[in-house]
Amino acid sequence: MNIREKANSNRLWAIAGGVNIRTKILGIVLALVLLLGAAVTLQVRATVSKTMNIQLEEQSVSTSRDLAARATDMILINDMYSLHQLLLDTEANNSNVRYAFIVTPDNQVLAHTFGDGFPQDLIAANTVETTEHHRTVILETDEGKVWDTAVPIFDGQAGVARVGISDQQLHQTVENITTQLLITTLLVSAIGITTAALLTWVLTRPILQLVRATQAVGRGDFSHRVNRWANDEIGDLADSFNNMTVQLAHAAEEHAEREQLRVRYVNGVIAAQEDERKRIARELHDSTSQTLTSLLIGLRALGDVCPQPEIHARADELRSIAARTLDDVHMLALQLRPSVLDDLGLPEALERHMADCRRHYPINIDLAVNGLEERLPPNIETALYRITQEALTNIFRHADAETASVIVERRGNKVITIIDDDGKGFDPHHMSNNNGHLGLYGIRERIELLSGTLVIESSEGHGTSLFIEIPLPPE
Amino acid sequence: MRQICVFLLIILSLLGCTSTQDQPSVYLSDRSPLPTIQDQTVVPLRVSVAAVISPQGTAESYQPLIEYLSSKLNRPVELVQRRTYAETNQLLQAGKVDIAFVCTSAYIAGHDDFGMELLVAPQVKTEAVYYSVLIVPFDSPAESMADLKGKVFAFTDPISFSGRVYPTYLVAQLDSDPSDFFERTFFTYSHDNAIKAVAEGLADGAAVDSLVYDFALQNDPTLAQQVRVIHRSSAFAIPPVVTGPQIRPQLKATLQEILLGMDNDPEGQKVLQLLGFDDFVTIEDAAYQPIREILANTPPLTP
Repeated sequence: MNIREKANSNRLWAIAGGVNIRTKILGIVLALVLLLGAAVTLQVRATVSKTMNIQLEEQSVSTSRDLAARATDMILINDMYSLHQLLLDTEANNSNVRYAFIVTPDNQVLAHTFGDGFPQDLIAANTVETTEHHRTVILETDEGKVWDTAVPIFDGQAGVARVGISDQQLHQTVENITTQLLITTLLVSAIGITTAALLTWVLTRPILQLVRATQAVGRGDFSHRVNRWANDEIGDLADSFNNMTVQLAHAAEEHAEREQLRVRYVNGVIAAQEDERKRIARELHDSTSQTLTSLLIGLRALGDVCPQPEIHARADELRSIAARTLDDVHMLALQLRPSVLDDLGLPEALERHMADCRRHYPINIDLAVNGLEERLPPNIETALYRITQEALTNIFRHADAETASVIVERRGNKVITIIDDDGKGFDPHHMSNNNGHLGLYGIRERIELLSGTLVIESSEGHGTSLFIEIPLPPE
Repeated sequence: MRQICVFLLIILSLLGCTSTQDQPSVYLSDRSPLPTIQDQTVVPLRVSVAAVISPQGTAESYQPLIEYLSSKLNRPVELVQRRTYAETNQLLQAGKVDIAFVCTSAYIAGHDDFGMELLVAPQVKTEAVYYSVLIVPFDSPAESMADLKGKVFAFTDPISFSGRVYPTYLVAQLDSDPSDFFERTFFTYSHDNAIKAVAEGLADGAAVDSLVYDFALQNDPTLAQQVRVIHRSSAFAIPPVVTGPQIRPQLKATLQEILLGMDNDPEGQKVLQLLGFDDFVTIEDAAYQPIREILANTPPLTP
């Protein structure tokens, strides 16, 4: 198949595929009827023309033989009136006869049916030997084809009888038949189109219903059922579709239950984790910090009361270790669960976290908070805090960024959070668990628990932006 | 949609292609008046043969005689036929034919009306006589004219002696006339057609010229199985060859000489044989007296 054929075939497919089934079936029916009608019309025309041509020739011969036989006596007894009457009768009784005339042996017209005058060249157009039975020639005249037969009368002694059979009536008949056939074809086409339209309606109705039902299933609506219209393949498809929908609905129900369980479980885990962290943080703050503070005070007192420089130096050293440890414990407690989040709210907690980060990492961090004068629900505050914490940790660890910014803004009944950096970025479509992206999964999980959305925009070398939108529960 | 249009166009063009016309060679509408038939420069001798037998039979039988006369006279001879004896008589009276072979009653009528003249008479079996024979279909039970009462009867010519006058005479002998005696009668205008009418059962009986009957039987022997003769008249003088009253005496003498001398000429003998004649002889008007008597005893003929 060369390129052009392939292109044509593609175009054909494009045309065939571009129309709906209704049009296809209508097209097939119309094409079939028209093709059949045209073929039958042509065939009938050809056959009728052929048959009638043969019949005209036979009629020409038989009419002129009859005329010759009946004219013999009239010519011999010179009965011109009867002869003329015979010619007129011959013409009148055979609608195909265009003319009839008698030629004497010396080529004079004895009688004819033309009335006024006689066509030139007609006598010479056909001649017959006296020994011949007859001779027929097809004359091309100004009135169409004429089968002219010459028959010798009384072996030529009484002249020649000539009869011309015109094909005008044949043409008329053929035209009539053609018209009838074409009208029939058009009628059948109309009936065919109506029937095909009905048929396609019957055929496509269940298919269209199936399409609507599929769309509904696609939207998650499993309540749609299709009717089984006919006991055929489409009926089977409808049944199978209904079964599938039932099973899908069942599966979706199970899935929803499991999801609910999971959400409850994850919520429980997160709450327990937060509680645990809060407890540990409080423990660290209240108990361990106090103990370390006491240790510091004790070491200072020890240094003060002990005059020996060596012990003094050792006590100072231990005191500085204890002070660092206290700082670490503070830091740890803060990271585990900043009490400021519970006490002063998200903006303050974030501000303090940022300050800590600035202290520990060589990076510029901006924070902008808008519209959070009112406190958010505790679970959302915790989640946003943890998300920001996780995202910043990712940036510090993987992004090699110089600056990072965090924007938290309340817009109506939702909270928008944007965290971006100018680091090396990554391809968000190729995240894998073992590549330090576990944090992102944690972020997504938290957002989805709150029915929020996460959009990650990033590409290699162009930094990363996280767009987080969390709806607020109605007041 | 474009394909459908192309498809329809192809069909239409196919329909249109089927009627291509060639240049006409004859124009039927271009008519001009026929030239009037020119008078012949050489005036032919015109011979008429009364319709004893059908026009085709006459033309076939008399063609050799016509050609013989033409060669003897060295001038064209034309055969003129008419449907009835009366028409032939009118041609003779008007001088439109020169000689004629006529029926006996036609001669008597012509002789008495306008002076038709006897030229010669043919001899058959050495006699210049003939008979009227009454024929019926072969399986008919009829044995005489009386048995044909209420039947269909075929006359030959309205003034034929053997075909109409004699059977009417026979019916008159039975004290009736043909319109009452027969159920129906019709004219065949020739004797051979009357024989065919009886043979084919169109008529239950007919009276015909014995010369024609014998000649027909000779040409078609199967006729003997189709018709039979139930009555034969007494001998009557044979139908003569006549001339009109205006004929030039010299031509009449020349014609008489040729016809009477035919049996001495080998060519003439052949022609006579084809006509079924032995020879031609002279004949007197007195020979037809018995026929005049029969005519006198026959009721007037309705045309």
